[in-house]
Amino acid sequence: MAISLATKAATDALALNRAPTSVGAQEVHKWMQDFNWDFKNNRTKYPTKYLMANDTKEQFKLIAKEYARMESVKDERQFGSLQDALTRMNAGNRVAPKWGETMKVVSNFLEVGEYNAIAASAMLWDSASSPEQKNGYLGQVMDEIRHVHQCGYVNYYFSKYFHDPAGHTDARRVRTLGPLWKGMKRVFADGFISGDAVECSINLQLVGEACFTNPLIVAVTEWASANGDEVTPTVFLSIETDELRHMANGYQTVVSIAHDPAAAKYLNTDLNNAFWTQQKYFTPVLGMLFEYGSKFKVEPWVKTWNRWVYEDWGGIWIGRLGKYGVQSPASLKDAKKDAYWAHHDLFLLAYAVWPTGFFRLALPSKEDADWFEANYPGWYDHYGKIYEEWRARGCEDPSSGFIPLQWFIENNHEIYIDRVSQVPFCPSLTKGASSLRIHEYNGKKHAFSDEWGERMWLSEPERYECQNVFEQYAGRELSEVIAELWGVRSDGKTLIGQPHVNKDGKLWTLDDVKRANCVFKDPLA
Amino acid sequence: MSLLEERKRGLTDPVMAAQILAEIPDEPLETQRKMCYFVEPRGKRLTEYEIMTCYSQPTPDWISGGLDWGDWTQKFHGGRPSWGNETTELKSSDWHQHRDPAGRWHPVYVKAKAEDWRVLQRFMESFSAEGALRTIDPFWRDTVLAKHLGAFGYSEYGLFNAHSSVIRDCLGDTLRSTFAFAGYDKTDNSQMTQLVRTFIAKLVPGYSDSTAPGKQEWTQGSAYKSARETVEKLWQETYDWNESMFAVHTIFDPLFGQLVRREFFQRLAPAYGDALTPVILAGMQTHFHATKDAIADIYYHCLANDHKHSGYNRRWMHAWIEKWLPSTVAAMAEFMSVYATLPKREGFTDNASIAASVNRVVEDWIADYADKIDYKVDQSKMVDTILAGLK
Repeated sequence: MAISLATKAATDALALNRAPTSVGAQEVHKWMQDFNWDFKNNRTKYPTKYLMANDTKEQFKLIAKEYARMESVKDERQFGSLQDALTRMNAGNRVAPKWGETMKVVSNFLEVGEYNAIAASAMLWDSASSPEQKNGYLGQVMDEIRHVHQCGYVNYYFSKYFHDPAGHTDARRVRTLGPLWKGMKRVFADGFISGDAVECSINLQLVGEACFTNPLIVAVTEWASANGDEVTPTVFLSIETDELRHMANGYQTVVSIAHDPAAAKYLNTDLNNAFWTQQKYFTPVLGMLFEYGSKFKVEPWVKTWNRWVYEDWGGIWIGRLGKYGVQSPASLKDAKKDAYWAHHDLFLLAYAVWPTGFFRLALPSKEDADWFEANYPGWYDHYGKIYEEWRARGCEDPSSGFIPLQWFIENNHEIYIDRVSQVPFCPSLTKGASSLRIHEYNGKKHAFSDEWGERMWLSEPERYECQNVFEQYAGRELSEVIAELWGVRSDGKTLIGQPHVNKDGKLWTLDDVKRANCVFKDPLA
Repeated sequence: MSLLEERKRGLTDPVMAAQILAEIPDEPLETQRKMCYFVEPRGKRLTEYEIMTCYSQPTPDWISGGLDWGDWTQKFHGGRPSWGNETTELKSSDWHQHRDPAGRWHPVYVKAKAEDWRVLQRFMESFSAEGALRTIDPFWRDTVLAKHLGAFGYSEYGLFNAHSSVIRDCLGDTLRSTFAFAGYDKTDNSQMTQLVRTFIAKLVPGYSDSTAPGKQEWTQGSAYKSARETVEKLWQETYDWNESMFAVHTIFDPLFGQLVRREFFQRLAPAYGDALTPVILAGMQTHFHATKDAIADIYYHCLANDHKHSGYNRRWMHAWIEKWLPSTVAAMAEFMSVYATLPKREGFTDNASIAASVNRVVEDWIADYADKIDYKVDQSKMVDTILAGLK
């Protein structure tokens, strides 16, 4: 085979060029857009009403090996801190008991979000046609696997060192028992993976990650640190470094569809639905976990919410997308109302059904009550008095036979669960914006607590058919359900969930709960 | 100063720390400290990989192995479930059974790949400092690597994309991480085929690292027609996530992929003075073997031997081999034409050497894949069909 003169000259040049040479990640990445090719059936398996552009770029231009190098460096720092310095300081045990319980929920529920985000990012990778855009979503797939394992590691670490490992050790099995689980699945699981691919991206990246990971993953580290927990900041701040890539992915999703006329028609509606979906759960649950699940307070949740959600996200972040026609959600003003009282409403219900938890809850202490009243004037008259009554009836004492759920029944305060958000609410006790609406469809009744969710259901009832805990357990006695869903400790009788964190307080058993004779009732039956 | 720095920390502020310590009980409230103690370990005891991964998938009990109850809280438009049994023809008594024999969870996986990257960068520096590219045959460098390694990069990129819907739809957590790592290795492979040519372009004046010759060969060349069509169908026309992974990792890649990677590039490169490509290929072969072991656990250890569904699953696997093997064999036969374009090298490019190559690939496939599910193959007939492509 003849060799051209040019080829020979090039070969000869090698004798002269002996500089050590390598190839950088960017030099490979610059060819990535050419990795695709056109063929007849090159289309996604997850249709979207939007058209994603073929030439969309990604902001984090990584190749596989460079991604691994970066993440590996972060892992070395994180695991080094956890396994060396923090272990020697016994940091896993020197955590305020209430906060150590809170982390059972936070870490495990975030893990579920991260897990579903693996699938969600993979769906977007499938949906995008641009190789760079696919690569951005691929990076997120890998990040989400990382985050699942990191969240798992927080529970793993506390399992080893925290003074009450129950719940940390078995959250993946017992979490399905309580009424907070299904709502978490709506926002953190199904909302990310079931629907129009772009709608899922909006839920996951544009709202879940760009809006709520700041209060969830960043603010939680401040609360953790105040309460003696340096484990969570070590892990969660490492998680947060990846979240920037995910927010960029969300931004690029919008960029990729901006040219499409469908965006003008549907994008703001999808964004509004996604925002309401996410805030409906996160607003009350995060506020409740921070304020009621801590000994030392950082700042009122309403302030955190206003800064991160209302100003930073609703104003600045969405403002940046304004050039693509994106507007702040119409439901933002209603959410702002929820940010004040909704978490107080929710804790009242969560405490009432404490035996279904995989964590110990505690009634607000005197210091807590003073802080609540100072920051939420009117708190005592509405909530504080109820807690005082429950405490006086011995709700913390196993011999009392009193579980606050009974108080709701005695006083005709019906607890409903919103069919769309799966968030429980009590219309006759709420100080937040919830109001009861009931519809009947296919012979079944459905309760709703707000106009936005109700509208989603009225448009597509077939998407929201999940039964709630009251329907699932109707007619069954509470201790029987707890035993069936693994809500007990290794002795087979003591509950994982408890109504106090007093170190000398007695722990409730299945027999104690059985004596209370609480039977689940479906308020819609 | 950040807000975090301004605040006192409960662990280090003496007053706060004392208040916290006063609330901590003298003895732990629970003796069971093993996270995920309810998970059945594959070995004697639970590994960190199992603890971090198992049951992170929140499926309900009507999907085998699920611990949750009830319906999905939000479904696709029209009511299709988030995850469902109807996404695959195979059945399992527990979709959480699979274990990656390498025990890879995220930090383990990225650490290995990060090490590969550092080793590769050091290798490129020493390789170039030695002027080692001087020994490479110009035809091999300018034509074979540009066209055929480039074309093979497209094959790997297409197979990478066959993983996206699988990672979305599969029904288990250990499955999801195994498939994600396998897919990630495929995009890594496609990027490394580009890296080879970019590296040469930095050393050889006038050498282009454009993707165009490889893309032309992949999309227009007769040597890749069946390979390309098979990859396209695996990528976008296969909706069953098990069929997709079974076809990619137990049929197409162990046959066509191994023929091109191991028997063509890795075996022939030294004959043309190319000491660079085999190093890159060695990384791809490491990926292949890690994936092979994990895939064998999924399809042979778990699904083909499932205590409830073994016979049923094997019937489907046989049917999938019947479906995907002919086009894979055709792809291998068409690839034979590439050998005819090479400058002759005795002991490498003669027909006997090529036949030995093909025999090795087919023999390995029968032993490592077909035999595991009692699928009968006529090796000599299969080899003859492939070798018929020799021009």
